[in-house]
Amino acid sequence: MSISQNPRTPNDDDTELIIQINSGRTDLFPELVRRYEQKLYNFGIRMCRDVQDAEDMVQDTFLNVFRYLKDFRFESRFKNWLYRVATRTCLKKKRKSLYAPEEELSLDYFLPGEEAAIPARVPDWAAAPLDQLLNEELGNRLRQAVHELPESYRLVLVLRDMEGFSTSETARILNLSESNIKVRLHRARLFVRQKLTDYFDHEPYTPSSPSWSCPV
Amino acid sequence: MSHTPHHPHHGLAQFEKLSEYLDRELDELTCQDIERHAKNCIACRVCLETLKQTVMLCHSINHDEKPVPPDFAIRLKETIKALCRDKG
Repeated sequence: MSISQNPRTPNDDDTELIIQINSGRTDLFPELVRRYEQKLYNFGIRMCRDVQDAEDMVQDTFLNVFRYLKDFRFESRFKNWLYRVATRTCLKKKRKSLYAPEEELSLDYFLPGEEAAIPARVPDWAAAPLDQLLNEELGNRLRQAVHELPESYRLVLVLRDMEGFSTSETARILNLSESNIKVRLHRARLFVRQKLTDYFDHEPYTPSSPSWSCPV
Repeated sequence: MSHTPHHPHHGLAQFEKLSEYLDRELDELTCQDIERHAKNCIACRVCLETLKQTVMLCHSINHDEKPVPPDFAIRLKETIKALCRDKG
Protein backbone atom coordinates (compact mmCIF):
# COMPACT_ATOMS: atom_id res chain seq x y z
CA MET A 1 0.00 0.00 0.00
CA SER A 2 1.41 3.41 -0.86
CA ILE A 3 2.10 6.03 1.77
CA SER A 4 -0.45 8.36 0.25
CA GLN A 5 -3.16 5.77 0.85
CA ASN A 6 -2.08 5.25 4.42
CA PRO A 7 -1.12 8.58 5.94
CA ARG A 8 0.23 8.32 9.48
CA THR A 9 -1.26 11.60 10.58
CA PRO A 10 -4.93 11.36 9.58
CA ASN A 11 -5.87 14.30 11.81
CA ASP A 12 -3.65 16.73 9.93
CA ASP A 13 -6.02 19.16 8.20
CA ASP A 14 -3.79 19.16 5.12
CA THR A 15 -3.65 15.40 4.58
CA GLU A 16 -6.61 15.12 2.20
CA LEU A 17 -5.44 18.07 0.13
CA ILE A 18 -1.90 16.68 -0.17
CA ILE A 19 -3.19 13.26 -1.18
CA GLN A 20 -5.22 14.89 -3.94
CA ILE A 21 -2.30 17.03 -5.15
CA ASN A 22 0.01 14.02 -5.16
CA SER A 23 -2.53 11.99 -7.10
CA GLY A 24 -2.39 14.51 -9.94
CA ARG A 25 -4.62 17.42 -8.89
CA THR A 26 -1.80 19.98 -9.11
CA ASP A 27 -4.48 22.61 -9.70
CA LEU A 28 -5.13 22.34 -5.93
CA PHE A 29 -1.57 23.36 -5.01
CA PRO A 30 -2.50 27.08 -4.82
CA GLU A 31 -4.87 26.16 -1.97
CA LEU A 32 -1.91 24.80 -0.01
CA VAL A 33 -0.07 28.05 -0.73
CA ARG A 34 -3.08 30.07 0.39
CA ARG A 35 -3.18 28.22 3.72
CA TYR A 36 0.43 28.95 4.60
CA GLU A 37 1.64 32.02 2.71
CA GLN A 38 0.96 34.48 5.54
CA LYS A 39 2.42 32.21 8.22
CA LEU A 40 5.53 31.63 6.13
CA TYR A 41 5.87 35.30 5.21
CA ASN A 42 5.85 36.26 8.89
CA PHE A 43 8.41 33.54 9.64
CA GLY A 44 10.47 35.03 6.81
CA ILE A 45 10.46 38.55 8.18
CA ARG A 46 11.43 37.23 11.62
CA MET A 47 14.34 35.30 10.12
CA CYS A 48 15.55 37.47 7.23
CA ARG A 49 17.22 40.84 7.27
CA ASP A 50 14.72 42.51 4.96
CA VAL A 51 11.35 42.10 3.28
CA GLN A 52 12.86 41.21 -0.11
CA ASP A 53 14.77 38.29 1.43
CA ALA A 54 11.60 37.17 3.21
CA GLU A 55 9.63 37.23 -0.05
CA ASP A 56 12.36 35.28 -1.86
CA MET A 57 12.40 32.73 0.95
CA VAL A 58 8.61 32.25 0.77
CA GLN A 59 8.64 31.83 -3.01
CA ASP A 60 11.64 29.45 -3.01
CA THR A 61 10.08 27.42 -0.21
CA PHE A 62 6.84 26.89 -2.12
CA LEU A 63 8.77 26.00 -5.27
CA ASN A 64 10.68 23.38 -3.25
CA VAL A 65 7.48 22.12 -1.65
CA PHE A 66 5.92 21.72 -5.10
CA ARG A 67 9.00 19.82 -6.28
CA TYR A 68 9.31 17.53 -3.25
CA LEU A 69 5.73 17.11 -2.03
CA LYS A 70 5.66 13.55 -3.34
CA ASP A 71 8.46 12.76 -0.87
CA PHE A 72 6.36 13.89 2.10
CA ARG A 73 5.81 10.73 4.15
CA PHE A 74 3.12 11.99 6.55
CA GLU A 75 5.45 11.21 9.45
CA SER A 76 4.85 14.67 10.90
CA ARG A 77 2.28 17.37 10.42
CA PHE A 78 2.63 18.99 7.00
CA LYS A 79 3.26 22.33 8.71
CA ASN A 80 6.36 20.92 10.43
CA TRP A 81 7.67 19.54 7.14
CA LEU A 82 6.99 22.91 5.47
CA TYR A 83 9.05 24.71 8.13
CA ARG A 84 11.81 22.14 7.64
CA VAL A 85 11.88 23.05 3.95
CA ALA A 86 11.67 26.77 4.81
CA THR A 87 14.58 26.71 7.28
CA ARG A 88 16.75 24.86 4.77
CA THR A 89 15.79 27.33 2.04
CA CYS A 90 16.65 30.15 4.39
CA LEU A 91 20.06 28.72 5.29
CA LYS A 92 20.89 27.72 1.72
CA LYS A 93 20.08 31.23 0.57
CA LYS A 94 22.69 32.58 2.94
CA ARG A 95 25.07 29.80 1.88
CA LYS A 96 25.40 28.82 5.49
CA SER A 97 24.89 25.55 7.26
CA LEU A 98 23.16 25.15 10.56
CA TYR A 99 26.33 23.36 11.60
CA ALA A 100 28.73 25.97 10.24
CA PRO A 101 30.75 27.76 12.89
CA GLU A 102 29.28 31.07 13.86
CA GLU A 103 29.19 33.30 16.90
CA GLU A 104 28.44 31.31 20.04
CA LEU A 105 26.60 32.75 23.02
CA SER A 106 28.44 31.77 26.18
CA LEU A 107 26.37 31.10 29.27
CA ASP A 108 29.03 32.79 31.43
CA TYR A 109 28.17 36.10 29.80
CA PHE A 110 24.62 35.89 31.13
CA LEU A 111 25.34 34.72 34.66
CA PRO A 112 24.20 37.18 37.31
CA GLY A 113 27.26 39.29 38.11
CA GLU A 114 28.89 40.60 41.22
CA GLU A 115 26.69 41.57 44.11
CA ALA A 116 27.03 45.30 43.46
CA ALA A 117 25.40 44.89 40.04
CA ILE A 118 22.49 42.82 41.29
CA PRO A 119 19.20 44.69 41.56
CA ALA A 120 17.62 44.83 45.00
CA ARG A 121 14.25 43.67 43.68
CA VAL A 122 12.45 42.36 40.62
CA PRO A 123 12.04 45.33 38.22
CA ASP A 124 8.55 46.65 37.60
CA TRP A 125 8.56 45.72 33.91
CA ALA A 126 8.92 42.06 34.77
CA ALA A 127 5.70 42.08 36.75
CA ALA A 128 3.64 44.35 34.48
CA PRO A 129 0.56 43.08 32.63
CA LEU A 130 1.50 42.52 28.99
CA ASP A 131 -1.28 44.72 27.64
CA GLN A 132 0.11 47.66 29.63
CA LEU A 133 3.71 46.92 28.84
CA LEU A 134 3.73 46.05 25.16
CA ASN A 135 3.66 48.99 22.79
CA GLU A 136 5.00 49.68 19.31
CA GLU A 137 8.39 50.87 20.53
CA LEU A 138 8.94 47.85 22.75
CA GLY A 139 7.69 45.54 20.00
CA ASN A 140 10.26 47.03 17.62
CA ARG A 141 13.00 46.75 20.24
CA LEU A 142 12.11 43.11 20.80
CA ARG A 143 12.16 42.33 17.06
CA GLN A 144 15.51 44.10 16.76
CA ALA A 145 16.92 42.01 19.62
CA VAL A 146 15.76 38.83 17.90
CA HIS A 147 17.43 39.95 14.67
CA GLU A 148 20.68 40.59 16.55
CA LEU A 149 20.86 36.94 17.62
CA PRO A 150 23.29 34.68 15.76
CA GLU A 151 21.24 32.82 13.17
CA SER A 152 21.22 29.34 14.72
CA TYR A 153 19.97 30.82 18.00
CA ARG A 154 17.44 33.02 16.22
CA LEU A 155 16.01 30.02 14.37
CA VAL A 156 15.45 28.14 17.61
CA LEU A 157 13.89 31.10 19.44
CA VAL A 158 11.60 31.98 16.53
CA LEU A 159 10.43 28.38 16.08
CA ARG A 160 9.89 27.79 19.81
CA ASP A 161 8.66 31.11 21.18
CA MET A 162 7.09 32.76 18.16
CA GLU A 163 5.93 29.99 15.84
CA GLY A 164 4.84 27.80 18.76
CA PHE A 165 6.63 24.53 17.96
CA SER A 166 7.51 22.21 20.84
CA THR A 167 11.07 21.26 21.72
CA SER A 168 10.77 17.89 19.95
CA GLU A 169 9.13 19.43 16.87
CA THR A 170 11.86 22.09 16.68
CA ALA A 171 14.52 19.39 17.03
CA ARG A 172 13.02 17.49 14.10
CA ILE A 173 12.63 20.61 11.96
CA LEU A 174 16.27 21.57 12.48
CA ASN A 175 17.59 18.00 12.68
CA LEU A 176 19.25 18.71 16.02
CA SER A 177 18.99 16.95 19.37
CA GLU A 178 16.42 18.12 21.91
CA SER A 179 19.18 18.95 24.40
CA ASN A 180 20.86 21.13 21.77
CA ILE A 181 17.56 22.94 21.18
CA LYS A 182 17.16 23.55 24.92
CA VAL A 183 20.67 24.96 25.26
CA ARG A 184 20.28 27.28 22.27
CA LEU A 185 16.82 28.40 23.35
CA HIS A 186 17.95 29.28 26.86
CA ARG A 187 20.90 31.33 25.62
CA ALA A 188 18.78 33.04 22.98
CA ARG A 189 16.20 33.98 25.60
CA LEU A 190 18.93 35.26 27.95
CA PHE A 191 20.31 37.39 25.10
CA VAL A 192 16.90 38.95 24.37
CA ARG A 193 16.25 39.37 28.09
CA GLN A 194 19.52 41.30 28.41
CA LYS A 195 18.50 43.60 25.54
CA LEU A 196 15.14 44.25 27.21
CA THR A 197 16.84 44.89 30.55
CA ASP A 198 19.11 47.45 28.86
CA TYR A 199 16.07 49.03 27.19
CA PHE A 200 14.18 49.37 30.47
CA ASP A 201 17.28 50.73 32.22
CA HIS A 202 17.03 53.66 29.81
CA GLU A 203 13.24 53.78 29.50
CA PRO A 204 12.07 52.75 32.98
CA TYR A 205 8.59 51.31 33.20
CA THR A 206 6.50 52.39 36.15
CA PRO A 207 3.14 50.81 36.97
CA SER A 208 1.50 54.21 36.64
CA SER A 209 2.82 54.73 33.10
CA PRO A 210 -0.06 55.30 30.72
CA SER A 211 -0.62 52.55 28.19
CA TRP A 212 0.32 53.47 24.65
CA SER A 213 -2.27 54.28 22.06
CA CYS A 214 -0.78 51.97 19.46
CA PRO A 215 -0.50 48.52 21.03
CA VAL A 216 1.35 45.84 19.07
CA MET B 1 13.55 39.55 53.84
CA SER B 2 17.17 38.52 53.94
CA HIS B 3 18.80 37.37 50.77
CA THR B 4 21.45 34.78 50.23
CA PRO B 5 24.46 36.51 48.68
CA HIS B 6 24.73 35.42 45.07
CA HIS B 7 27.85 33.64 44.02
CA PRO B 8 28.31 33.29 40.25
CA HIS B 9 28.77 29.53 40.54
CA HIS B 10 26.22 28.97 43.26
CA GLY B 11 23.03 27.82 41.63
CA LEU B 12 24.66 27.51 38.22
CA ALA B 13 22.87 24.22 37.61
CA GLN B 14 19.55 25.93 38.35
CA PHE B 15 20.48 28.93 36.22
CA GLU B 16 21.09 26.68 33.22
CA LYS B 17 17.66 25.15 33.62
CA LEU B 18 15.54 28.26 34.04
CA SER B 19 14.08 28.01 30.53
CA GLU B 20 13.21 24.35 31.00
CA TYR B 21 11.59 25.33 34.30
CA LEU B 22 9.47 27.98 32.54
CA ASP B 23 8.56 25.48 29.82
CA ARG B 24 7.54 22.87 32.44
CA GLU B 25 10.04 20.41 31.06
CA LEU B 26 11.63 19.49 34.40
CA ASP B 27 10.75 16.91 37.02
CA GLU B 28 9.08 17.95 40.25
CA LEU B 29 12.22 17.65 42.37
CA THR B 30 14.29 19.91 40.11
CA CYS B 31 11.44 22.44 40.03
CA GLN B 32 11.42 22.52 43.82
CA ASP B 33 15.21 23.03 43.89
CA ILE B 34 14.88 26.01 41.56
CA GLU B 35 12.00 27.51 43.53
CA ARG B 36 13.90 27.09 46.81
CA HIS B 37 17.01 28.71 45.35
CA ALA B 38 15.11 31.58 43.70
CA LYS B 39 13.27 32.29 46.94
CA ASN B 40 16.56 33.03 48.70
CA CYS B 41 18.64 34.39 45.84
CA ILE B 42 17.54 37.79 44.54
CA ALA B 43 19.86 37.59 41.50
CA CYS B 44 18.29 34.36 40.28
CA ARG B 45 14.79 35.57 41.17
CA VAL B 46 15.29 38.70 39.08
CA CYS B 47 16.67 36.58 36.26
CA LEU B 48 13.76 34.14 36.46
CA GLU B 49 11.08 36.85 36.49
CA THR B 50 12.64 38.93 33.70
CA LEU B 51 13.21 35.79 31.62
CA LYS B 52 9.60 34.74 32.13
CA GLN B 53 8.38 38.16 30.99
CA THR B 54 10.73 38.04 27.98
CA VAL B 55 9.24 34.71 26.89
CA MET B 56 5.71 36.05 27.34
CA LEU B 57 6.57 39.11 25.24
CA CYS B 58 7.94 36.86 22.48
CA HIS B 59 4.71 34.84 22.54
CA SER B 60 2.69 38.06 22.36
CA ILE B 61 4.32 39.57 19.30
CA ASN B 62 3.59 36.34 17.45
CA HIS B 63 -0.05 37.45 17.41
CA ASP B 64 0.94 40.55 15.47
CA GLU B 65 0.96 38.85 12.07
CA LYS B 66 1.57 41.08 9.09
CA PRO B 67 -0.45 40.43 5.93
CA VAL B 68 1.41 39.40 2.80
CA PRO B 69 2.08 42.56 0.73
CA PRO B 70 -0.52 42.63 -2.10
CA ASP B 71 2.03 42.95 -4.93
CA PHE B 72 4.01 39.99 -3.62
CA ALA B 73 0.80 37.96 -3.16
CA ILE B 74 -0.06 38.55 -6.84
CA ARG B 75 3.46 37.70 -7.99
CA LEU B 76 3.50 34.51 -5.91
CA LYS B 77 0.08 33.48 -7.19
CA GLU B 78 1.18 33.94 -10.80
CA THR B 79 4.41 31.99 -10.23
CA ILE B 80 2.54 29.09 -8.62
CA LYS B 81 -0.13 29.12 -11.32
CA ALA B 82 2.51 28.94 -14.04
CA LEU B 83 4.25 26.11 -12.18
CA CYS B 84 1.01 24.13 -11.88
CA ARG B 85 0.22 24.76 -15.57
CA ASP B 86 3.64 23.54 -16.68
CA LYS B 87 3.64 20.43 -14.49
CA GLY B 88 -0.07 19.71 -14.58
